[in-house]
Amino acid sequence: MPIQIVKTEITGKVWKIEAVPGAALSEDQPILILESMKMEIPVPAPLDCTVVEILVAEGDSVTEGDPVARIEI
Amino acid sequence: MPFDKDLAEFDRRKALALAMGSPKRLAERKAAGILNARERVAKLLDAESFHEAGLFASSIRPEMRDKSPSDGMICGFGKIGGRLVGVNSADFTVLGSSSAEVHGKKQGHVRALATKNGFPIVNLMECAGGRIPDIMGAGGIGMSGERAVYRNPRTVPWISAVLGLTYGGGAFTCINSDFVVMRKGAVLAVSSQMVTSVAIGEEEDPQALGGWRHHSELTGLIDALAETDEEAIEACQKFLSYMPDHAGALPPCAPVPAGSGEGAAKLLDLVPESRAKVYDVRSVMKAVFDKDSVFPLKERFAKVAVTALARLGGRVVGVVASNPMFKGGALDPDACDKIASFIVLCDSYNIPLIFLADTPGFLVGAESEKKRLPAKIMTFMSALEQATVPKIALVLRKSYGQAYLNMGGGKADVTASWFSGDISFMDPAVAVNVVFAVKQDQDPERFASLVKQVSEGTTAYELAAPFLAHSVIDPRETRAYLTAMLEILARRPSGALSERRLANWPHGF
Repeated sequence: MPIQIVKTEITGKVWKIEAVPGAALSEDQPILILESMKMEIPVPAPLDCTVVEILVAEGDSVTEGDPVARIEI
Repeated sequence: MPFDKDLAEFDRRKALALAMGSPKRLAERKAAGILNARERVAKLLDAESFHEAGLFASSIRPEMRDKSPSDGMICGFGKIGGRLVGVNSADFTVLGSSSAEVHGKKQGHVRALATKNGFPIVNLMECAGGRIPDIMGAGGIGMSGERAVYRNPRTVPWISAVLGLTYGGGAFTCINSDFVVMRKGAVLAVSSQMVTSVAIGEEEDPQALGGWRHHSELTGLIDALAETDEEAIEACQKFLSYMPDHAGALPPCAPVPAGSGEGAAKLLDLVPESRAKVYDVRSVMKAVFDKDSVFPLKERFAKVAVTALARLGGRVVGVVASNPMFKGGALDPDACDKIASFIVLCDSYNIPLIFLADTPGFLVGAESEKKRLPAKIMTFMSALEQATVPKIALVLRKSYGQAYLNMGGGKADVTASWFSGDISFMDPAVAVNVVFAVKQDQDPERFASLVKQVSEGTTAYELAAPFLAHSVIDPRETRAYLTAMLEILARRPSGALSERRLANWPHGF
């Protein structure tokens, strides 16, 4: 199955990691949540997938386009 | 029997044409679960309703006549649920349904009759591109310029399905359509990888060149996705159910399904009170509009905005909603394109527009500016201001800055807000940073006091006092309120028909 890198679409701080490696997610289910623009904004799964690796830690700052997770689709 | 010889010849020719391309190719398609051009027409239309035009047409080149049954395009007229439509169904087993003289002329005939007589067109497309050698040389390309039609003035709905490799003219027909559904595995691109590998030395997987993920996520050039041919054809039928036959008519009403509006009572639970929390606006739409009537377009592209056809009390409406679930609902350049294109569609086919706003504003920053955000915002606004169908704007929670105006605030026929509305030039917390130069971590007490002070001027009631909001409503009243406003706005003496100022807006954005 192909591996895909999930990138953030906004700049912010990693507030909470929601999914662990091995977790099966549906499209649009949150992988992690960023704190940005005074909101808690999810980084969602782009497709139905399995999480392979989370590439950031809670508290990390990320900018738009940064890789945050590897998923298998 | 009289005419024995003629009847035999007629039957022989008919059988040859109906047999389409090579049996091997037809068998390969069948094995892969892909319908052929005639099976697709049968699936699309009511039984026994198809009247074919051009069964005996063939290539204009004498030496190719026997190798080009129907010249690779099955054309005609039929009915979908009793409604008349024109059909062009590409037969890839005949010369790759490549674009050529007679092949184009047949599609033009269907377009001309549909336009003149006011009924929609469905294109079931595959296309290898321009036919070689027909299109080669100065004469070939020159002739194609005289034949091809590249303008869709939105007189009648054009509905297209991308059902295989679709390049060149076939791709352009789809792009110029009002609705495009793509079957997974199909490709929509200007040129195949055979051309790109030679012309620019680029070896690209066709899916990366123009596959379903490319178009549903990155380009937004398709409106819907399907797993199979059958599903794609059903999507065409579904889109048609929201469309009028032509731009001079209103879309058809439908009976209101039992259970519609039952979710309205849950609206207070669906939307978090804290504006720091997000939610999926699609759940709000599902609760407000007629049961199972919400039909999203370009759902996987620019997810910060939802654009969907739906029904309210049986009437067709177009809904534009910012979705806090993605990027907090901050509208980005792609969302502007998506919304502008949707406004054009709805305005051209007499579909009232409803805007649901919960947005922190436009997504500002270097990346957005590189993607021409100021121009995108104004393109969106220009479409909104020129649209003459009934327009209703409703603020759900926050709606800040220029995005408030773009989401219809003050621009629609009616502007309203839920009691949870929070309307301002910018987020109160950001405003305290910018206006008073006070940061939360430096002086939390003063920061909190200033946020409270700024927030007092941003409530729905502050919008209602100078009558900038015509109503402030309980979220649970949304369905009833929108239905009542729609009834008022649809009474206009023009019969609620649009002035169609946007009808010539280009389809590709």
